Amino acid sequence: MANKQNDLSKQEKKLLKQMYWRSFTLFSAVTPAKQGASGFEYTMLPFINAFYKEDEARKEAMVRQMSYFNSNVALAPFVMGITASMEKENSLKPGFNADSINAIKTSLMGPLAGIGDSVFWGVLRVIAAGIAVSLAKSGNIFAPLVFLLLFNVPIQMIRWYGGRLGYTLGSSYISKLYENGLINILTKAASIVGLTMVGAMTAQMVIFKVKWNMVVAGKTILKTQNMLDQIFIGLVPLLITLFCFYLLKKKNVSINYLIFGIILIGIVLSMLGIA
Amino acid sequence: MLYQALIVALIVFITVGGQELLGFTMLGRPIVIGPLVGLALGDIQTGLLIGASLETIFMGVVNIGGASSAEPGLATALAVAFAIHLHGGLGIALPIAIPLGIIGLQIKTLLYVGVVGPFASKFDSLASQGDQKGITRLHFGLWTLQWFIYALIPFFAILVGSSATQKLLEMIPTVITNGLTVAGNLLPAVGMAMLMKILWENNISVFYFLGFLIVAYFKVPLIAIAVLAIIIAVLTAQRDYQLKKMNQDIMQRPALTDNSGSQEELEEDDFFS
Repeated sequence: MANKQNDLSKQEKKLLKQMYWRSFTLFSAVTPAKQGASGFEYTMLPFINAFYKEDEARKEAMVRQMSYFNSNVALAPFVMGITASMEKENSLKPGFNADSINAIKTSLMGPLAGIGDSVFWGVLRVIAAGIAVSLAKSGNIFAPLVFLLLFNVPIQMIRWYGGRLGYTLGSSYISKLYENGLINILTKAASIVGLTMVGAMTAQMVIFKVKWNMVVAGKTILKTQNMLDQIFIGLVPLLITLFCFYLLKKKNVSINYLIFGIILIGIVLSMLGIA
Repeated sequence: MLYQALIVALIVFITVGGQELLGFTMLGRPIVIGPLVGLALGDIQTGLLIGASLETIFMGVVNIGGASSAEPGLATALAVAFAIHLHGGLGIALPIAIPLGIIGLQIKTLLYVGVVGPFASKFDSLASQGDQKGITRLHFGLWTLQWFIYALIPFFAILVGSSATQKLLEMIPTVITNGLTVAGNLLPAVGMAMLMKILWENNISVFYFLGFLIVAYFKVPLIAIAVLAIIIAVLTAQRDYQLKKMNQDIMQRPALTDNSGSQEELEEDDFFS
């Protein structure tokens, strides 16, 4: 790995440094619909500007990088490194399958979030907090500092080296894959992982529970949620997601309408006592 | 009182907001906020002790992507401020902190859904116009707006006092807050739909339903789903690779014997290509 890092040009080293700093702001403007999209975009902008010389290609890359992104912050630079190296390939090779960039990005973010959240938030943070709390209880005013250092030193190292690893892995391996024509196979494989994860995340993150029950003479005779669960667990979230997908893909409905529509539905359902 | 309100609001802005700006560096945890508020209000030991206690209580609470049960930062800041002001210890801090943690999260969700949420499409249109400055400005502007509003809560809470604060928060109709919570739970559907737009291909669409089914019915953690999906993807890629190799072999065979140049082989070449 050390050899490959030396192969980086001066400009690339500077870009990677920018990536490290900019990626701190990944979740500055989190929206329910796109999570860290704007932070990802902000981190990618120096790369996009360096790689694409034409305005149209630049805009295309900007639209591409503004897609939904949600992962663990410590591991996100690794994904960003890979994404940046693929953008470089895309800018150099006409006919590069640009869709593969988002496919790979999406297939990586879920698994890495799972690993990162459990290792860093679940284990590292709890250990750091445990040590700091015992210091604080004995009156040591350095407790907060100890907590922040114990937690952040490993995290920052992973962020710094992870980004570089992603970038060097990406540029060497992905260009080889492209030359062999294997990128289509890889894209399909990544899309399979991506779609499976999106399905899993739909079931986990899109939540809807019916509160309304059929009541006759003070007796609950039908629990609506139970009935729905008997048909298929998660039926309503699944149908709502598929309907949003249908509106986006076939009807080109703006996501703004979808967002406001869902907020309205939430309030109306609440007013009617359904949810 | 004004000074206290201002300084606590500033600390909430810098720590709770700063944690979101600086990649979850854990600035917004009780163990950090407690001593800071204590230092600002002249009683660092109380801050340290309450911070440590609340850290233990909220240990399981991590604020990632809004999926949480409380926002401990605001709770700690106000609990320490009131405890110092009312000369009470942990006994007064706890009953203040726990409901505030829950209310804090609700307000955070409200801002996240109602204030920042609608800007998702603005980001898209800025990207399609290639407006880099606009994206950067909105990226940081939304952060400032969201956490400025959030910091107003400790400001007014301390200015007006705890009992009045609680009364004010109770005035928002529950139908509205409940409706926003329902909407907040449904909104990830939009993000999922956008991912599907990128990834969807009819011949692999079954995998979307596979992922959904496994989580809905078996509550398997995402990491296990990921491993399963990777196994399937590896198997598929291996099969695709072998098919590709077989195709190449067939394509190359006539080319290798091309030297003889007979008519028959040329026809065979046409047949396979």
